[in-house]
Amino acid sequence: MRLALISDTTAALEACRLLGRHLQAAGAEVTLIVAPALMNGHRAPAPQVPTLVFEPLTAAASELLDHLDGAGVFVEPETLQPFLSIRRRAARLRGRPAAPLFTGPLLPLVGDALSADLLPRLGYDLICLHGPVQVEELGWLIRGTPHAAQAHEAIGLWGMPTAPIGFGVSREPLLVVLEQGGVPGGAKDKALLYRRLRSLAVAAPGWTVRLQPDYHLATDPEDWTETTLAWHHGLDADRPANLQIGRRDDLPLNLMLAWACLGISSPWLLSAMVWGKPTAVLADYGIRTDFNGPLFFGSGLMRRLADCLPLEELLAAPQPNPGWLAGLGWTIADGPQRLLQRLEGVTR
Amino acid sequence: MSLSLLLVADSDSQLLACQALARFAGEHHLRVTVNAVPREGTPASVIDGMNRIGPLWQLSLRQLMADPRLDGFDAIGVYLTGSKLAEFRSVYRDSRHQLGRPLRPLFCGFNGVVLERFEEAIAWRLGYDLICLNGPRDQARLELMLRHTPFAGQRWVLTGLGRQRSAEPVADRANRLVFAEQVVIPAADHERRRLVRILAALARRSPDWEVLIRPRVAPHERTFHAVTTHITETVEKTLGGLPPNLRISDAPLADLLGGGRLLATVSSTAFFDALDLGCKPLVMADFGLRHDLGTPFFAGSGLLRHFDRAADIDSLAEGPDADPDWLEWVGYGQRFSPQNLLEALQDLKAQPPRQPKGLIHPGYMINAADLSCNQLRRAAEAAIRRRDYDEAARLLEIAQLQRPENRNIGRRLAAARIGNRIARRLALLVTPRFRA
Repeated sequence: MRLALISDTTAALEACRLLGRHLQAAGAEVTLIVAPALMNGHRAPAPQVPTLVFEPLTAAASELLDHLDGAGVFVEPETLQPFLSIRRRAARLRGRPAAPLFTGPLLPLVGDALSADLLPRLGYDLICLHGPVQVEELGWLIRGTPHAAQAHEAIGLWGMPTAPIGFGVSREPLLVVLEQGGVPGGAKDKALLYRRLRSLAVAAPGWTVRLQPDYHLATDPEDWTETTLAWHHGLDADRPANLQIGRRDDLPLNLMLAWACLGISSPWLLSAMVWGKPTAVLADYGIRTDFNGPLFFGSGLMRRLADCLPLEELLAAPQPNPGWLAGLGWTIADGPQRLLQRLEGVTR
Repeated sequence: MSLSLLLVADSDSQLLACQALARFAGEHHLRVTVNAVPREGTPASVIDGMNRIGPLWQLSLRQLMADPRLDGFDAIGVYLTGSKLAEFRSVYRDSRHQLGRPLRPLFCGFNGVVLERFEEAIAWRLGYDLICLNGPRDQARLELMLRHTPFAGQRWVLTGLGRQRSAEPVADRANRLVFAEQVVIPAADHERRRLVRILAALARRSPDWEVLIRPRVAPHERTFHAVTTHITETVEKTLGGLPPNLRISDAPLADLLGGGRLLATVSSTAFFDALDLGCKPLVMADFGLRHDLGTPFFAGSGLLRHFDRAADIDSLAEGPDADPDWLEWVGYGQRFSPQNLLEALQDLKAQPPRQPKGLIHPGYMINAADLSCNQLRRAAEAAIRRRDYDEAARLLEIAQLQRPENRNIGRRLAAARIGNRIARRLALLVTPRFRA
């Protein structure tokens, strides 16, 4: 089966690369189609998956897609419906049956975040979901609507690394704190968070506390803003030596090296959990929708920052709630095969 | 068996929820007392409406907790915003414990359809003896959220979306379309101006109809959401002159719906008031199915219409009524009514008193009272009084996370952190204490 995976954001490209490799392993021929803006500078195409550079809407109208058995569309929400209509119109004009288009949320979102993500995806030939929780929530969203028959398939946690990338941990105790760009979003909130994490590092001199952005932080510190922990770290003339900033590109490696992991609601917490890392979900903000709190409500790993000390106690953190993790899609091991089977059905 | 209930509410929406709950009082040996927590800007008409239900108190929460009459009810219904709900539950139970008085069942609910933040709202409500949900849709969401967690046994009851006592059929309804305005839906100025233009154009295309815009609140009144530009101002600025058959009316919504043929809304709970009063509701779909508008909730209703594409209002009024399966799903129907709550409360009354279930489970977090900024500050003051400055600083740190803009929290925290005893004492004397 020949497939294309189309992306126009960094997060989507990373997810498509992962999915592409899994689909290749399941026997598909996969080409990534990437928006030109993503290919500037250091983001070289991954050698494992052939990559073409096209604007998504140009690709939608081109004959390129005519020769495929399906295309996964993982583009910005406002581009999703134009892509669908351009693709169908182009296929109609050329008198060819349109190859099935699939799409889906990149992350195992729940609640409001999920329904907002799914709305512009309705109408695609297939929506790829993560697990049974998303299947249930999609059912509520489309119940009784013209999209009630929307085809969907749960294919597991496909958008993030779940297979370990290595097996060694760092020689010295390392706590990786996953920082999100917008959680919390304000400069004052980030300043407060920095101060509290700094106190954590001071109270745990035997540990390295690495503040690890899970978003692309500019390489030049001049470009950092007050809404990043890195900015506050750079400004802190008296910062403890064991408090460090991680580079975004090193995120998977740092996570693998970590002895324990802490975060508010970064999706990378899920990778840490399934890799078996002792993980704590910061509970100090409560269950806030704008902080994606509902996602981790059932994890069983929430704790207050004050309760994380001494950090050695994190090493004895329990495993995540298995029922919750299964609901998110963790137990679906044959996701790529499920996707290929469903696409074959749609193609026929 | 008769029941005596106290309903506690503050904002106008919450008071209207109490009104909807109490509409069967006369038929079910139910005695309802409402405590409307004083709040600036609550519409007088809403307060007047409460007077018709039964005794009306207007005590602050602090006064209420100290009032011995609080122990005279069979159950207490709390209709406040999230953090206040959790605070009420916590303070009520602590106060009864300290005073050695029995605990009455506490229940809470929602004021109308829940368009967003459902999980967050439930996280504030966990621990109430009963949570009133609208219907099977909310039940499914609650069960999914609590599945596999220690809170899975949380009790709930379906009380439905009925709002008004059903009206007698009106033979001759006027050609009137009432648009139920919402203060922040849509929120953007340019969309609110477009909304007004669409309604005006529709009125011009329908000279045989009267189109009324019913503002959610009068210009001097307040609801939960802050309003910067009242709809009357938007209409004036956008249209200049109004078509002769379009006007703004602040008459009671029930009066307008009682004799009119159509209600239109983007996503207001007034949709269900209209159904109760025999007026056909329509959902304005011109802004699309968008999560921020709450329109996806109504997507299965069968009543979505594009007003700007409609030839006239007659063409909008055509077509089937609301889809019965959808109505059942969202909680509009005879199976779902406050009667279910009353039965559940009767059950609780018949049972021996039970201690409330614990809410602290390692690894799990609810939006408990100690996440309410006020409660945190109050607890910090208590810690300062008993000279536990580390605890005070810990509580104030969390309060500061909730309200980073509040300078007084920062000052108090800095004072509590001072190591030198005399300097700390001085700093605590001069920094503002929390007094609410």
